[in-house]
Amino acid sequence: MNIKIGFEVHQQIATRRKMYCNCPTNYQDVPPNTNVCPICTGMPGAKPLPPNQRAVEAAVEIALMLGCRVYTNQTIYIQRKHYDYPDLPSGYQRTSLPLAGGGSLLGVRIREIHLEEDPGQYDPLGGNVDYNRSGIPLVEIVTEPDMKSPEEARNFLRALVRVLEYTGKVRPEAGGAMRADVNISLEGGGRVEVKNVNSIKGAYRALRYEVIRQREKLKRGLGVERETRAFLESQMVTVPMRVKETEEDYRYIPDPDIFPLILDEGWVEKIRERMAEPPHLRESRLISEYKITRAAAEVIVSERELADLYEAVAREVDPKLVAIWFRTRLKKVLNYMKLRAADIKFTPAQLAGLLRMVRDRQLTPEQGELVLRELAKHPAEPEKIIARLGLFPIKREELLPIIARVIEENQKAVEDYRSGKEEAINFLTGKVLQLTGRRADPREITRLLIEKIGKK
Amino acid sequence: MAEGTLAKLARIRGGELSAAENVASALERIQELDRRINSFIELNPNALAEAEAVDRKIKRGERVGKLAGLTIGIKSNINVAGLRATCASRTLQNYVSPYDAEVIKRIRAEDGIIIGMNNMDEFACGSSGETSAFGPTDNPAAPGHIPGGSSSGGAAAIAARLCDLCLGTDTGGSIRNPASHCGIVGLKPTYGLVPRQGLIDLGMSLDQIGPLSADVAGTALLLETIAGRSDNECIMLKVDRVNYSELLREKSLKGMRIGISEKFSELTDPAIMKVIDGQIEKLRDLGAEIVEVDLPNLERGLSAYYLIVSVEFFSGTRKFDGRKYGRRIEDVCGEEVLRRILRGRYISQKEYRGKFYQRALQVRTLVRRELLAAFERVDVIVGPTVPKLPHRLGTKITPMEMYAYDYLTVPANLAGICAGVVNAGRVNGIPVGLQVQGRVLGEPEVLRVMQALEAAG
Ligand SMILES: [Zn+2]
Repeated sequence: MNIKIGFEVHQQIATRRKMYCNCPTNYQDVPPNTNVCPICTGMPGAKPLPPNQRAVEAAVEIALMLGCRVYTNQTIYIQRKHYDYPDLPSGYQRTSLPLAGGGSLLGVRIREIHLEEDPGQYDPLGGNVDYNRSGIPLVEIVTEPDMKSPEEARNFLRALVRVLEYTGKVRPEAGGAMRADVNISLEGGGRVEVKNVNSIKGAYRALRYEVIRQREKLKRGLGVERETRAFLESQMVTVPMRVKETEEDYRYIPDPDIFPLILDEGWVEKIRERMAEPPHLRESRLISEYKITRAAAEVIVSERELADLYEAVAREVDPKLVAIWFRTRLKKVLNYMKLRAADIKFTPAQLAGLLRMVRDRQLTPEQGELVLRELAKHPAEPEKIIARLGLFPIKREELLPIIARVIEENQKAVEDYRSGKEEAINFLTGKVLQLTGRRADPREITRLLIEKIGKK
Repeated sequence: MAEGTLAKLARIRGGELSAAENVASALERIQELDRRINSFIELNPNALAEAEAVDRKIKRGERVGKLAGLTIGIKSNINVAGLRATCASRTLQNYVSPYDAEVIKRIRAEDGIIIGMNNMDEFACGSSGETSAFGPTDNPAAPGHIPGGSSSGGAAAIAARLCDLCLGTDTGGSIRNPASHCGIVGLKPTYGLVPRQGLIDLGMSLDQIGPLSADVAGTALLLETIAGRSDNECIMLKVDRVNYSELLREKSLKGMRIGISEKFSELTDPAIMKVIDGQIEKLRDLGAEIVEVDLPNLERGLSAYYLIVSVEFFSGTRKFDGRKYGRRIEDVCGEEVLRRILRGRYISQKEYRGKFYQRALQVRTLVRRELLAAFERVDVIVGPTVPKLPHRLGTKITPMEMYAYDYLTVPANLAGICAGVVNAGRVNGIPVGLQVQGRVLGEPEVLRVMQALEAAG
């Protein structure tokens, strides 16, 4: 069955002040209706200030990272989109004509990028409106209907969020900063738009629900009509929206109170030079430049700061070893400590020093992980941490008597191994490791044990 | 002839007349006369206290502003903190402004005293002063006739000498039309010269705030107070303050090229034209060169204007949805406001956009080009302000007859140029104003011509 899925993603841009006034944007941290002024509450007579340049810049950067062509040196009108809803103080929302288009991400074509402003927040139960959010800049990213399954759509959204985070200019996804309108059609049916989707998970669930619903209708020969539906997160279903909301004519007009945007080509090129390398491109580059696996590269580029750290360390030590560590032990330590890469305090040189010791077998990988955990908690030179933890590799002449002793004291296990019970060797290795105070490399112990036991 | 604005200002600054006395006598006159004229909706309860503060400054020998102690009426579509900006509409009848418009801040900074809020056509939609929810305004210069609109209260207040200066607004002639009918001076500045932050919308791409006064010096004084760059809004020209009063010291019209057009007489009542022609002869006598200019599309501006204004007005009034300010505009407004909202709503529909709004914008471009081309040959263009005499209050006229008052004033708004009005004489005892249109930022030339005519008497 041929499925077509597309998105209109709305993401809040992290600026200090709102799009058309000087109110602060930390709307979640303050009591209702405190970050407001005549402009963002649409008081009679209030006129917008010139558009926030930082928001325009962020939208341009996002467009460039998605491989879009930015429409420079031409007038881009800010339009008024009229609709009647309590959260909209002026009865219209300001939205720009496309300022870029023609990009792509994971093979999904990006049709166009717009700048918008957020409305306030309406609480239908209490009948209250909080305008703290009103006027916060949004970037709208519109894709072509190029995704063919809910899974592909989910992957796309994950990749998109990663690109957005890479810019460092959007609000984190948590807290409803990302919202999406989803459109989906099955072969032989009409296009259905689903609104009110507030997360990647929500988009995936809404799409799964729609695929099943539409497939069933088509199977029964009922046909799927073109319509707009709303996603109910709590029940994980979509329901039709009132006809009025879907047949609305927004009566777009250019806002007479705002000069159209004109994006200077030189300015856009400066943004391109300064901007971060987009994660999907960086992933490919890391694979070819450092000869590492796609699985490792995927983990490494998952956060911009993690990828920056990787490249800094990979210049010092074997890039493949570093990649393995990033994918396994570093990831584990960060997850365990609930740290984001941006929160890492140790330096690339400290991590490189540690990995060099592992490479030179001055430390076992297990010991290395202990040091790494300390490093994440209390950054210091790895040598100091090793001294503090009393970690130094055991000498061979110290290790051999311990092995002999363990063989001596565990004859049953030795017999088991000899009679073909492979796992008995792990038991013996564990015993030795314990007696060395975990200072020996388990692989080395096993090798020595087999040497001794096998010799007999 | 009553005392001129500058003479009064000198007496206040010199301590001969206190600001408080000036305010008190204004309040007395309003008390005495405005019941009949109905030019104010609300008075500023702090006016006297504000005047006393100015007097204290004068007494202490401190620097005082250029409007020190003058009484100023404000059109009710401009926000003045603590007073009601009703737009003379039931929708906003209880809306008390929480903030000062930028022009009000500038007036306060120059020690002008806001005396009150003037009556007007509802939401500035009208050319007669009769559509206010607070009742019509009389014309003190021709009692029983309309004062013109939509800045009806301001023009009438000046004509009746109820206050020294007024702020009006002009979207398609709303300053110039009542200035003409009331025999006073008014000026619509170049679009983008005066900040609109705090002005309640009619047609945002056309609206300008401007002065009304008894003499040209008063208009120059108020204009230089409110004009000039502001970083607090987008659509502003980046121009510094200009001292228009200073420029008015140049009295001669020698070397000035003044344009006239046959088009004006085609559209205008011959009796009015006769008065205007008399003034043009005076200009020639004063040393100006009179040049004929071609304005073939001038009258096409009117219908384009009403399409544009209706679409923008529809958009601007969406906030009056009944949730925040009293009742929903469509439920309580007058006929003309409703007519414009519905027209704007109709022609902004997706399927008609190309047909009406876009075409109106094309006509606007045409009219603008035509005027700008004329200004390559002349410094100003003079002619009548309103093509016909004001009707008697209460006369029923059709919407098209009402719109026809605006034929000669809307082109300046469409083109974004400036235009002033000065009295030219009377027809049947009713004042007739001469309109002086100037190029973009051509206020100095416009004011000079107005002053020359005023001085010639
Ligand atoms: Zn604000």
